[in-house]
Amino acid sequence: MEKEEIVSRLTPVFRKVFADSTLVITDQLSALDVEKWDSLSHMLLIAEVENEFTIKFKLKDLNKMANVGDMIAIIESKL
Amino acid sequence: MNEYLIRKAEPGDIPFLADVVIASEKGMSDRLSFTTLFNKPETEARELVIQMFEEEVDGCELSLSSFIVTEFEGKPISGSGSWIEGFNGNMPSGILKSNLISYTFGKESIVYLKTKSHIVKDLQIDREPMTLQLEYFHIKDEHLGKGLDAALMDRIEQNALAEYPALKKVQCQIFKNSVFSIKILLRHGFKIVQSYRSDNGEIFDYLPYNEKLLMEKVLNIN
Repeated sequence: MEKEEIVSRLTPVFRKVFADSTLVITDQLSALDVEKWDSLSHMLLIAEVENEFTIKFKLKDLNKMANVGDMIAIIESKL
Repeated sequence: MNEYLIRKAEPGDIPFLADVVIASEKGMSDRLSFTTLFNKPETEARELVIQMFEEEVDGCELSLSSFIVTEFEGKPISGSGSWIEGFNGNMPSGILKSNLISYTFGKESIVYLKTKSHIVKDLQIDREPMTLQLEYFHIKDEHLGKGLDAALMDRIEQNALAEYPALKKVQCQIFKNSVFSIKILLRHGFKIVQSYRSDNGEIFDYLPYNEKLLMEKVLNIN
């Protein structure tokens, strides 16, 4: 799957989890940049992303995800 | 105090630390968020807490490396967790903890959490980077009142300062009804700096109390 397609599928997931219909995701975007991205919403985000792409992240994958770019790269590697 | 041995936690302490986490999470109540928010019985939640410790992720409250343990007559009688938030480039501890929970508790629990998250969201408090964070401070009842709390606090601060000499602040998030723990913190120089309250009436079904305090101690190191 191309990166552009991953981004286009991730965007509505992020917008839904963080209840922000204008949220634009970039490679650099991280929990520090989104006010509602806290420990609670992070768990919901992971579950929604796994659901969207029918994948299961390993713990070491999750702990490597410092930003959205890392998340995209890991999703890419699993598809 | 000579009869007590304070040391870093080891893998063999993990079952005891799971009990420390559960006792601390409950505070002065019988509500354990690992069961109420994730729809797991306490026995299973305890096993999952053990699994999270066994993953050995550093930098959060479920890291083995965050804990010191006190031994009395060869047996653990206290466990205390602390870490420097974001130290060595670590991710925010809340994210690390969420990753551990997401991975070990599984999708069904997270789907359940989704239906309850609105109830507890007002008590989510960010942790300040490069501050020492205290979490899960538990001493068995029969060893309270013997000066162990002060010795543990001193050891925690000394360990952190040895690792990061520029450390300026210690913080602790605590439910307001944990009166004995609050007394210990006040006695050790902490002050209440902020209060977070939820007016959602359901919160008492899920968490020990509807108000959390952020307590802080400024370190006066020359």
